[in-house]
Amino acid sequence: MKPPPFRYSSPTTVADAVALLAEHAADDARVLAGGQSLVPLMNFRLAQPGHVIDLRRVAGLDTIRLAGGELVIGAMVRQATAERSPEVALAAPLLAEALGHVAHPPIRNSGTVVGSIAHADPAAELPAVALAMDAELTAVGPGGERRITAADFFQGPFTTALGADEILTEVRFRSFPGGHAFVEFSRTHGNFAVVAVAVLVALADGRITRSAIAASGLGGTPLRLTAAEQAWEGSTAGSAAIDAAVDAGTAGLDPAGDLHAGSATRIDIARSCLREALERATERALDRR
Amino acid sequence: MTTTARPPAPPVRSHPENRKWVGKSIRRVEDPKFLRGRGGYIADLVRPGTLHAAVLRSPHAHARIVSIDTDAAAALDGVYAVVTGAQAAELTEPLPDFGPDPAKHTWRCLAVDKVRYVGEGVAVVVADDRYLAEDALALIDVDYDPLPPVVDPERALDAGAPLVHEALGSNLAYERTFDFGDVDADFAAADLVVRDRLRWHRSGGQPLETVGAIADFDPSTGQLTAHTNSLSFTSYLFMVANTLRIPANKLDIHQVPAGGSFGSKLFVTKPLVLAAMCSRLVGRPVVYLEDRVDNISNCDHHGSDRVYDVRLAVTRDGRIRGIDIDTVDDYGAYIQFGVGHHGNALAQVTGPYTIDSVRYRVRAALTNKNQQGAYRGFGSEVNNWMLEQMVDKAARELGMDPVQIRRRNFIRPDQFPYFIPTGNVYDSGNYDAVLDQALEIGEYDRWRAEQTQAREEGRYLGVGLIAAQERSVFSATEFWFWFDEPGAPVTSMPESVTLNVDATGGITATLYSCAFWGNSPETMVAQLVAEEFDCDPHDVSIIYHGSQGGLPATGPGGSRTTVMLAGAVEGASAKIKRKARRAASELMEVDPDDLEWFDGGYQVRGVPEQRKTLGDIAIALHLFKHSFPEDVESGLEESQVFDHPYTTMPSADRKDLGVFYPFMGHACHVPVVEVDIATGEVRILAYAAVHDCGTLVNPRSLAGHIVGGTAQGIGTALYEEFVYDDTGQLITSSFLDYSIPTAMEVPHLRIGHVETPSPYTPHGIKGGGEGGRMMAPAALNAAVNDALAPLGVRVTELPMTPDRLRAAIRAAGVVTGGR
Ligand SMILES: Cc1cc2nc3c(=O)[nH]c(=O)nc-3n(C[C@H](O)[C@H](O)[C@H](O)COP(=O)(O)OP(=O)(O)OC[C@H]3O[C@@H](n4cnc5c(N)ncnc54)[C@H](O)[C@@H]3O)c2cc1C
Repeated sequence: MKPPPFRYSSPTTVADAVALLAEHAADDARVLAGGQSLVPLMNFRLAQPGHVIDLRRVAGLDTIRLAGGELVIGAMVRQATAERSPEVALAAPLLAEALGHVAHPPIRNSGTVVGSIAHADPAAELPAVALAMDAELTAVGPGGERRITAADFFQGPFTTALGADEILTEVRFRSFPGGHAFVEFSRTHGNFAVVAVAVLVALADGRITRSAIAASGLGGTPLRLTAAEQAWEGSTAGSAAIDAAVDAGTAGLDPAGDLHAGSATRIDIARSCLREALERATERALDRR
Repeated sequence: MTTTARPPAPPVRSHPENRKWVGKSIRRVEDPKFLRGRGGYIADLVRPGTLHAAVLRSPHAHARIVSIDTDAAAALDGVYAVVTGAQAAELTEPLPDFGPDPAKHTWRCLAVDKVRYVGEGVAVVVADDRYLAEDALALIDVDYDPLPPVVDPERALDAGAPLVHEALGSNLAYERTFDFGDVDADFAAADLVVRDRLRWHRSGGQPLETVGAIADFDPSTGQLTAHTNSLSFTSYLFMVANTLRIPANKLDIHQVPAGGSFGSKLFVTKPLVLAAMCSRLVGRPVVYLEDRVDNISNCDHHGSDRVYDVRLAVTRDGRIRGIDIDTVDDYGAYIQFGVGHHGNALAQVTGPYTIDSVRYRVRAALTNKNQQGAYRGFGSEVNNWMLEQMVDKAARELGMDPVQIRRRNFIRPDQFPYFIPTGNVYDSGNYDAVLDQALEIGEYDRWRAEQTQAREEGRYLGVGLIAAQERSVFSATEFWFWFDEPGAPVTSMPESVTLNVDATGGITATLYSCAFWGNSPETMVAQLVAEEFDCDPHDVSIIYHGSQGGLPATGPGGSRTTVMLAGAVEGASAKIKRKARRAASELMEVDPDDLEWFDGGYQVRGVPEQRKTLGDIAIALHLFKHSFPEDVESGLEESQVFDHPYTTMPSADRKDLGVFYPFMGHACHVPVVEVDIATGEVRILAYAAVHDCGTLVNPRSLAGHIVGGTAQGIGTALYEEFVYDDTGQLITSSFLDYSIPTAMEVPHLRIGHVETPSPYTPHGIKGGGEGGRMMAPAALNAAVNDALAPLGVRVTELPMTPDRLRAAIRAAGVVTGGR
């Protein structure tokens, strides 16, 4: 369980990192953030980059800031830092809640928020949060900077819209006034999700005005459960609305099964997680008024 | 020998009443070195200049090896040797194999003509470091011709199934049916016959450090010196010497702490043989240390993997008369320990109950999987689970309470020593006392009340209650009584200790078998020595003697270490005291018979001022020999080789298997669970465990065993499984997929102890190393079944994954999850 030989660079600016990525494209150059996914893949020789470009020393990537109603998390912000950040707690409590489900504390001390999104594991928590929060990713490549919405970003298991010559520098979460809930089912604590559900909901006069619902573990990418959103929006908050959303959200799902749960069990679990998340988010939305 | 003429039991011992150290909770003497990172594991012992070996694993479940091209690998800079299976077969003999007819399923350190499971070694590379060695593995080109795999153990026995070993002519490595007692009469007399089919899937011990060996062959002397965290049992070393074609007296194996074994490092010879073969070939020290994938896929120590069809004969009032067990066990591609796992089961097949007759049919199936080895319980834990499932089912069908049916069938304290139908003896026990305490600390009545309330709220709470045995101190007859030809007389399974008292009175104990396996041999010996000599156990030095020139030692396994070491310490101490008493009598010029041992020295009876401490005596013996008579030698050192205290031959007709596992522990576990019927998730709300393994040496370290074993049992019950898919691919080859309970899944345990001393062992000690895992799977299964009883659901397959629970609940009509 040792990687094959590779070269290693540790640039200090985004421009240098992007230049290195282009320079070593033929060598299958890869960006290294916290290394908690890439290094195991290299040890199993499932990824064999010829050149590894470490973002650790790149200036300016390790900050969390609030900018005009948006929470901006730099590419080298560790999951543990985000988990404890007052800005995150304030602007994106859904993200804070989800972070507690990502792996174990020692892994979160190293793994990054952006790295998890970039990696796009279909069982990971943070991609679902990014999708629910309509996050935007800032990508920098030889052609300059561009923004990619979460909805466009995730294309398949471990596959994203990011070009091979691009680096993500940050992720921007739009804050959502209302209630939130992140509910996960995993085999053991700290494991990847079998199913995880992220819910945001806003209420006015006891009615659901707006919501965002996304889930991991039910397909090759995180899924936005728009049918569930539509099913309960406009209704009075309560168990009838939740029943409708659960039924609509899980109708027609056909997740692939795996070792941890077959397809039918996954839907059973999804119903349970979705219900719990909708209830908790609604309660919190009611508390907020 | 006939069935009834049993050899006499050993004399009943009287145990000292006032003990100073045995029974006292002390900090383990091993802990400081491990906690400071100075335990000296294999990876810590690798010196600069040592070469590293890596093994190429088969990606196929079953395939013929057409050709292997190693040229590119051998040409890589920093690579010293590439050895294929065919070449290894020229350099070594087959690996030690205790299975039936080894010539028909020859087992070697690397596969030769065909691979028989995913992960089987095909070639080994020796290089400057492990990175390079793995680079070279990637350059080896093997041409495989895939063969149809055989994965399911029952299908493996079908006519026409692909053969794992052609030479065997079938995949049935062993079959036999034993009858003990009058099974047919008991079934004919039964009011009710309870039947079930049960399935226990394979899992295994997961050590933090995998198996490894560092071998250093010296061509000038022909001596091989090795460090390994598995075998170092001097008693069986000649077998490895034979595999390596090295004279046994040129093989010196040094003990290395296991870094976790749980059985999985029992007599693991493959890494040692690979490292030694490579070292001899290249003339340099070589380390082979499995990585995690090597260990999971190729450790030769997967646990039991059984299908059971069982019938239980019971009377209307809940008396269990007989049991008829038919089991197919999936052994994987080889069968190194034969069906010894079922010998373990037969040692306690009837549990704590007075069941009169047993029919036991076992079929050992070979399949394209890694083979079975040892895992905490060695197959008896599976029997415990099966029996408790059946007892619970009988209670359900009779409308009896689980406590009541157990009490009705318990062997009573006045019935010991008690011979079970197979011929094994249970030395002592008090099962009601254990049950009483478990009901109390498990708050059984309170939880039953909570359960009633929870059911009204639509929640599924379950209380499990099981009573089960923990056999200890095995005799090797269980590995051969399967065959009509006696393999041997009873083996003595010795364990040895040397005690040395230096000139200052300081004591050093030398041990001869495995180092730390989690079973704390150093703490045990230190406490036992302290008990004999009234010193502080933390002041006793413990060292290990390598195999060369070492005294006989069998090593851990079957929860034997503490009992056997206690016997050796007792014997060596008596010899030391005999010499010391004589020396003291010379020094004080009094009759030895007038002396008594008191508080660390000999004193004249009735004249306590007149005394010599052990230090006074020792310095005289070390430095002033000429003060003593001619036949007294300088120094104060004695050894004891302690042999199995109670084992007897099986009868020729095998209607009686003799005594082979006599020191019988017992436990009662009471877990409380809540099952989420929507998702199939099981949460443990409370857990009580009461154990009786005779006289306790160190309650604190025994409690550690119980917690660790129970944690593993939780894994077996809910999470852990080596999963091979239909094509024989192992899909749990790392911890990403092989789920292990974390601290968060293991509840706080309420632990209780009952002490029923053994009449036949020093201090009355019984083994206790496997306890938790021998009970927890049965207990949790019982709890889940209790929780789901209102739905009419019984789960009969472990581990109880969300998929399996949901399938059972769905079948009971709860279609969609959730309210
Ligand atoms: C034992 C263990 C348990 C885990 N459990 C979980 C879990 O429960 N849930 C979960 O979600 N994750 C889990 N993980 C994964 C962990 O969260 C990873 O840290 C995370 O998925 C990747 O983040 P990283 O910073 O470590 O990225 P890396 O491993 O450094 O990189 C991952 C991938 O993303 C790319 N990448 C990273 N940053 C950028 C960037 N700025 N621009 C472009 N590409 C980039 C890399 O090139 C690489 O392909 C676990 C990991 C371990 C070791």
